[in-house]
Amino acid sequence: MKIGLRSSVLVAAAASLLLSGCEYARLLRPKVLKQLNPRVVRLVNEFPEVDRPNEAILGRLFAHGGLSRATQGSDGVFRQRIHVPKNQYMWYPAIITMPKGGDLELEFSNDDVVTHAVMMPSNGEREVLFLPVRQAGKVLVKLDQPGLYWFGCPISNHAGRGMLGLVIVKGETPAEAKLDRPKQDRP
Amino acid sequence: MKTSPLCLLTALLGVVACESFPKHPITQTPKPLTAFVENMPGSAPDVTRSVTGERIVRARSEPQNWLTYYGAYDGQRFSSLDQISRDNVKNLKTAWVFQAGVIGIQAAPATYSLEAAPLVVDGVMFLSGWDGYVWALDAANGNPLWRYRHAIPLDTPLCCGNVNRGVAVAKGKVFFSTLNGHLLALDARNGRLIWEKVFADVRAGESATAAPLVVKNMVIVGSSGGEYGVRGHIDAFDIDTGAQAWRRYNVPKPGEPGSETWDGDSWEQGGGTSWITGTYDPDLDTLYWGTGNPGPSFDGTARPKNNLYTSSVVALDPDDGSLKWHYQWTPHDVWDYDGVNENILFDQDGRKLLAHFDRNGYLFILDRTNGQFVRATKFGRVTWGDIDERTGAVTPRIVPTKKGIEICPGPAGAKEWTHASYSPQTKLLYVPVIDACADFKLIPQEFKEGMAYWGGEANVAGKPQSGYLKAFDPLNGREVWSWPARHPMVASVLTTAGGLVFTGEPNGMVDAFDSRTGEMLWQFQTGSGIHSNPISYSVAGKQYIAVPSGWGGWLEGFAPEMYGASRGSALYVFALP
Repeated sequence: MKIGLRSSVLVAAAASLLLSGCEYARLLRPKVLKQLNPRVVRLVNEFPEVDRPNEAILGRLFAHGGLSRATQGSDGVFRQRIHVPKNQYMWYPAIITMPKGGDLELEFSNDDVVTHAVMMPSNGEREVLFLPVRQAGKVLVKLDQPGLYWFGCPISNHAGRGMLGLVIVKGETPAEAKLDRPKQDRP
Repeated sequence: MKTSPLCLLTALLGVVACESFPKHPITQTPKPLTAFVENMPGSAPDVTRSVTGERIVRARSEPQNWLTYYGAYDGQRFSSLDQISRDNVKNLKTAWVFQAGVIGIQAAPATYSLEAAPLVVDGVMFLSGWDGYVWALDAANGNPLWRYRHAIPLDTPLCCGNVNRGVAVAKGKVFFSTLNGHLLALDARNGRLIWEKVFADVRAGESATAAPLVVKNMVIVGSSGGEYGVRGHIDAFDIDTGAQAWRRYNVPKPGEPGSETWDGDSWEQGGGTSWITGTYDPDLDTLYWGTGNPGPSFDGTARPKNNLYTSSVVALDPDDGSLKWHYQWTPHDVWDYDGVNENILFDQDGRKLLAHFDRNGYLFILDRTNGQFVRATKFGRVTWGDIDERTGAVTPRIVPTKKGIEICPGPAGAKEWTHASYSPQTKLLYVPVIDACADFKLIPQEFKEGMAYWGGEANVAGKPQSGYLKAFDPLNGREVWSWPARHPMVASVLTTAGGLVFTGEPNGMVDAFDSRTGEMLWQFQTGSGIHSNPISYSVAGKQYIAVPSGWGGWLEGFAPEMYGASRGSALYVFALP
């Protein structure tokens, strides 16, 4: 069957459109592939289920309900929904990224069979939200600086079992706080 | 979460809609952690409203208060309260204890330490801690009134410890530098944020640990991060609005005075941070601020010449930050000796003098009107070089080598940042001393922004570490008395008109000495090492001694053998029964 140039372009465009939304395809980017670390590969080979409780690890080496990007509303507030799956001791998603500092509203929903809570860092004081079984709540926090902010469930070492979460605030400090010097090399 | 085959298929097809969230009713509302603190009213009397720069000039006339970091602008750390005296100090008892403690996840948990100087204004105490904490307490009984906690990112670049050395107060506000380089103005009545300025770049390795200083209508802060090849600076902000009044870099750009002491681009990573609060002479209208080590800390080949204005004191005009004069304690510092230690202002025989115990092991006396050298006195174990005690001429003897070589004092110096005291009653200086050496090794490295830039290492571990509390006569440099301590002495000294000298030890002991003789008169075990600023104040006619207790910080630099000692975070307050 002969396929015309025009059809080829259309098929390629459609395929790339489909693949652009697929996380598996994004793994094939050279930037990602070159970071494949033999130590991580060895770890995953040893513990194929490292992301959940298994025969070797009581809880989790590091949580994992994966990563998400908070979306910014028209009011400027970043938002994300997080839930606690049944019998997992984890936040899903567990890592929330923000492109810059600001207000973040998280909706937590507890689908587990035990009570949880979340203690969220926020400027001024940490916010505590209790999460009874099959109930939900929203918490608004202020995280205005680039960096990593941890949150966890403070009940019964659920944090140690896997209920550690991370908000990653990307970006730079404001221009007025930067050092007056030429641009420097970073690692 | 387990991925279903359908979800995998949809993912492969690029259709993103497979993550279904269970819908549960939103029944829960969050509360701040402070809502779970019993009997914390969330409010304090409006005591700081009338505190102004002019009132702090006269701080010594209100000894019931500790209005500013050193108690007064002169940095003397002297209290004219005399209810607790040589005769009755043996009866001193714990009046109350405030426990900060730890709940949840902390940034840099291994290195936190309670280092602050509490402030007291008319019965209200303002205390800061690690990890963004500020507390207002009832100074008579320790009851918490309000609490503020800034969210500190876990990956904040730190030279050394998760610490904060104190707050400043004025005009109804509490000023606080967060670890990640924000200057906050909190409402002193309830801890709510009034304004916030970012003055340090964590991406470049900067942070903030020093207590701000209120002068006139400005609040002045210095940057931390001297081990990251930053360019140190001092910033002033308007108390009312937070508008920046000025910024002064301690390392000059090409063409500026002092730039001739840097080669090529080395000024760009020149260091010279100001991580200890300055002192101020209102009559001369001059700020005296210490500057830290040049970058890289141990590798002088990366930055030939003298590297002004690092490891120096800079005398600044508080109105615009311009330089009046400078004095460099350690020219071309390759030992991480810094120059940040306090500059104590005192008058003797009609002369306006400045005393500075440098980490390089010498006590310097300068004429503070013009920066002229008066005399130097060796106060610690020194092998790095000699300073002529009559002329101030510096002769370096030993520098770090690639093989490694023992040099004294170690990288934290013969005296760490914790402060000496001057008693106008005895006219003596009292200094906490570290007696420890280190193996200094040169390890040249390439600079990468945001990464530590030591250019070597200095190892104290395995070597003898002890200390002293010493009294010196600044008139002639004579040592008047010396108390040998089992561990390096790394707590600030407080002198009082009761003829007493208070300080603390790494083993948790709080000590009181006779200021004339050095005789130990009283001790109390707090349970965790003292690495902080004891103060004195009074409420309703009763004198108190307040001592933050909480071991930690850059222990590998000055007391690695105390690494496993009990940690804590308590404020002990003592009074007569």
